[in-house]
Amino acid sequence: MFRRFNAPLRALFAAAAVAVLATAARAQEPQRGGTMVMIVQPEPATLASYMSVAGNVCPVACQVYEGLVSYDWDLKPVPKLATSWEVSPDGLTVTFHLRDGVTFHNGAKFTSADVQYSFMEVLKKVHPRAPVVLGDLSAIDTPDPMTAVFHFNHPAPYLMMALSGYDAPIVSKSAFENTDPAANPTANKPIGTGPFKFGAWERGQYVRLDRNPNYWQAGLPYLDHIVARFIPDASTRSAALETGEVQYAAYSSVNYSDVKRLQANPALDTTSKGYEMTSGLSEIEMNEHRPPFDKREVRQAIAYAIDRKFIIDNVQYGFGKPATGPLSSNFKPSGLYTDEVLRFDVPDRIAIANKLLDEAGLPRKADGMRFAATLEVNSFGQQWMRQAEYLKQALAAVGIDLTLRSEDTGAWLRRVYTNYDYDMSEPFFNNLADPVIGVQRQYVTSQIRKGVDFVNNTFYSNKEVDDLFAAGAQEVDPVKRADIYHRIQKILVTDSPVIWLSEVQYVTVFNRKLHDATTGPLGTYSAFERAWIEH
Amino acid sequence: MQDALLRFARNRLALLGAVVLLLVLTMAAAAPVLYPAGAFALAGPPLQPPGGRFLLGTDTLGRDVAAGIVYGARTSLMIGVVATLAAVVLGVLIGAVAGYYRGKPDLALMRITELFQTIPSFILAILLVAILSPSADSEIAAITLVSWPGIARLARGEFASLGGREFVLACVGLGAGDGRIVFRHLLPNCASPLIAVGSLLVANVILFESGLSFLGLGDPNLMSWGLMISAGREVLRSAWWICTFPGLAIVATVLAINLIGDGLNEALNPRLRDR
Repeated sequence: MFRRFNAPLRALFAAAAVAVLATAARAQEPQRGGTMVMIVQPEPATLASYMSVAGNVCPVACQVYEGLVSYDWDLKPVPKLATSWEVSPDGLTVTFHLRDGVTFHNGAKFTSADVQYSFMEVLKKVHPRAPVVLGDLSAIDTPDPMTAVFHFNHPAPYLMMALSGYDAPIVSKSAFENTDPAANPTANKPIGTGPFKFGAWERGQYVRLDRNPNYWQAGLPYLDHIVARFIPDASTRSAALETGEVQYAAYSSVNYSDVKRLQANPALDTTSKGYEMTSGLSEIEMNEHRPPFDKREVRQAIAYAIDRKFIIDNVQYGFGKPATGPLSSNFKPSGLYTDEVLRFDVPDRIAIANKLLDEAGLPRKADGMRFAATLEVNSFGQQWMRQAEYLKQALAAVGIDLTLRSEDTGAWLRRVYTNYDYDMSEPFFNNLADPVIGVQRQYVTSQIRKGVDFVNNTFYSNKEVDDLFAAGAQEVDPVKRADIYHRIQKILVTDSPVIWLSEVQYVTVFNRKLHDATTGPLGTYSAFERAWIEH
Repeated sequence: MQDALLRFARNRLALLGAVVLLLVLTMAAAAPVLYPAGAFALAGPPLQPPGGRFLLGTDTLGRDVAAGIVYGARTSLMIGVVATLAAVVLGVLIGAVAGYYRGKPDLALMRITELFQTIPSFILAILLVAILSPSADSEIAAITLVSWPGIARLARGEFASLGGREFVLACVGLGAGDGRIVFRHLLPNCASPLIAVGSLLVANVILFESGLSFLGLGDPNLMSWGLMISAGREVLRSAWWICTFPGLAIVATVLAINLIGDGLNEALNPRLRDR
């Protein structure tokens, strides 16, 4: 083509091409300034992420608080407030070398004393997951201001997966010393080391965060402000994204049914990345104290009777994938996940389910039903009611007559985790970053804790599984550890104390003018220091 | 009574209402024959538009919207009739005692009635269902409890105005007991306004039930128009038929009952006879 043109024209074309390329390159160059508006749904009750793991706290608090480490896309720890660390060969001590020149938003210098105070006096005392995650942490030594040495009673390899600003925020000792951590005034105006400082909280409206000019990463963050807005109505949230009033909405704060429509909007984009350390599983719990759920055949039959793909396609609008067992496939990179377990997604699954129920001594009666049970409907939204309606149909096909009961959240949780007055329930569990943190609570005997939500309420108790989980928590060798968790998955899937339905895929909807908002596996649960807006 | 029926039949709008209601009734009665698999059955592929194999299309799970409409009619009418009857019985009993005895019972009962009337009735119904845990029984109980005060006030007024009439005094003079006077002589004389108001109440109750179901407080095991609308609302922009048909069903049924109620009111109310 070029041959047809004379030389000067050719040169002009070349110059134009270079100019176009240069513009494109400049568009990818981060720009300073601007305000990012994000949706947080619903409004958090507190910003004290050191004592609340509610999903709506961290999107705000994690801009302010940082952890010792962060995680890369392979879920490997990378430096944050700690620049490096060494684990002793016996796994009983971990030495963190801390970052110099970091200051808290109140002006105090960040030192090892803050690390010690955060873990021993705050997190260990008030963090909900501390009994499991920090149970074996016995002491922290501070040989010098930039070194913190963690001592454990037993090796705790999982702790390296729970040190982010989400799992273990580092608070300022100067703001907490001599106070009750549960009643600290910073609960609603957090003071951390993060890229954004707390600005204002207009209840029912928004939280405003302001750029931290003294942030330890020079030149960051790019944004001047982050505003977290609370919009209770789902269609208003979608409309706010469409009008450009809001640039970012994570954790499926946009209805799945709207996501498809918003994806067609040229101004908006979606991603399902940034949830690799959340790993939500939707499940069915069955009360083994209520016959016939004490029979393994019955539980397996139910697992066979359910078409997981149907639920994903029609209830979750395609956002998710079938679950194979107690671990999410997000644990594949770490080698802990296996799908070499009893599989329920076989072609003749309905026939198998019927056979198992026959063998369990539950023949069909005159009305075609074998037994009746009640399913407690998850109260967190419409999606769960649709799933329950599907389950009723699916189980009727194998002769189980399901009655649905839908109560408010308080009544549901009380019935299922305190009164144990239930047959089946359809909860939602996050695997989180490590099986010790998010998985074992549901299956070990010691986690049958009356009145504690989202632990073992099926009364499943298997010495072998208990021992394996205990061994897995302390095993330092990754290959041996993976082997232990593979065995756990095989046993649990065969026993089916719960039925694993799907790995729920959260979706983030964002404006295309917003760049680099999702930069790691923690997504919205990490700071937006690299996010920038084209303007 | 025949007079009243004739007058009702001459009212074209009321007749139209009766025809529509009859259709809904037939539909509800024929539901198990029309759709033996039930309203929740996964009948085909999800989100099929109306026309094709499914007259009114299918919803997000592939359930037949037409089956939902038909079974929803059963739920709406069942709850509508039962809750209305319960509210009328309760309201008449309280109103009768207050209106017939006057004095202290009247004072006490009317203050209680006013207490109920000052609380926003839908909010109270939501609260009651939430406490009792959603089921058809709790819906009926909640709707009854918020619907009786109007009937009670009407009944009290009627009983109070009839209480001093000569035929009542004659009954007392002849030695009739309170029960006999109230049920044999007073009640038939104030039946017409009660029937008219009661029939309008059915429409209200159906709206209440749809509202509760819409908010997820209906019986999850019974198909209901409100539930269908709430389930279809998410996809309103891409699948209009899921919300639209149950919405139309509610409009048609409630309008029909209102027309019938107005017709009955005109037919039974002597003051409106010559309009």
